[in-house]
Amino acid sequence: MILIIGGAYQGKLEFARMNFSLTDQDIFTCTDTEIDFSKQCINGLENFTYACLRASIDPIEYFKKNSDSWKQSILICRDISSGVVPMSSDMRLWRQLNGRLCQYLSQHALKVSRIFCGLEQRLK
Amino acid sequence: MLILVSGGAKSGKSDIAQKLAMGLSEGGKCYYIATTIPCDAEDWNRIQKHIKDREGLGFTTMECDRNILSCLECCDKNGSFLVDSSTALLMNELFPETLGYQMDESAIERCRHELCLFACSVRHCVIVSDFIYSDAERYNETTEIYRKGLAAIDRALASIADTVIEVCSGTITLQKGELP
Repeated sequence: MILIIGGAYQGKLEFARMNFSLTDQDIFTCTDTEIDFSKQCINGLENFTYACLRASIDPIEYFKKNSDSWKQSILICRDISSGVVPMSSDMRLWRQLNGRLCQYLSQHALKVSRIFCGLEQRLK
Repeated sequence: MLILVSGGAKSGKSDIAQKLAMGLSEGGKCYYIATTIPCDAEDWNRIQKHIKDREGLGFTTMECDRNILSCLECCDKNGSFLVDSSTALLMNELFPETLGYQMDESAIERCRHELCLFACSVRHCVIVSDFIYSDAERYNETTEIYRKGLAAIDRALASIADTVIEVCSGTITLQKGELP
């Protein structure tokens, strides 16, 4: 599994498209608590963690339950870890769920790349 | 040479960018392109601090809050230029006073094009931007358009830059190229 992280609008998906020759058919963009792991690339994991927050689902448990499904995947998640502590408790919890999921996934990733201004910084 | 300097607020971007621009000038002209339109005492105070920081360094300050290419009409293109910052420049162009501060979305592409053209028209250019993309806030549509626009400008500049630097707590991470 390859994990691609980075801030908003940094070019994470474009990087994945270019480097892994992905087409639209290869990409699943998260909108709720279900992920279609049949797609090679899972984009917008931050939307998944946000939906998990609303539905009281543990995102790490979800990934553990489906651990055979994403070993070859390219996973893309926005880094939302910086900035001041959000005033809203939901946003604080979202930040925690997202950060913990990224930690879990990076442990299991063959490669971790951070995209900054469209440039790759290899973290693992 | 083009250097893009990005990082969080008060990370030391401006200090590092000043040193880089001055070093690149090799004793020749070194211009500081000031882009902020001061709106209140907080802005004035921050500007005063930046002016004090630059005192004695030998910068020629040019006020340019929009239309960055206009700077080229009255300066030595063989000099070194510090643009601080693309963040303020886009803000001024995207919400122009002439339109009563209503958003002009065409400004994003214009600003991107003009900054790239400016950087390619002068001998040395250091551009400061702000990294505003890694927080857990869910912003309104207008703010997202601004963030997305600034990121597009950052990425365009990074793609043509010789060197891209991320600054954190006054320390540098090289994201592309080498330091001069």
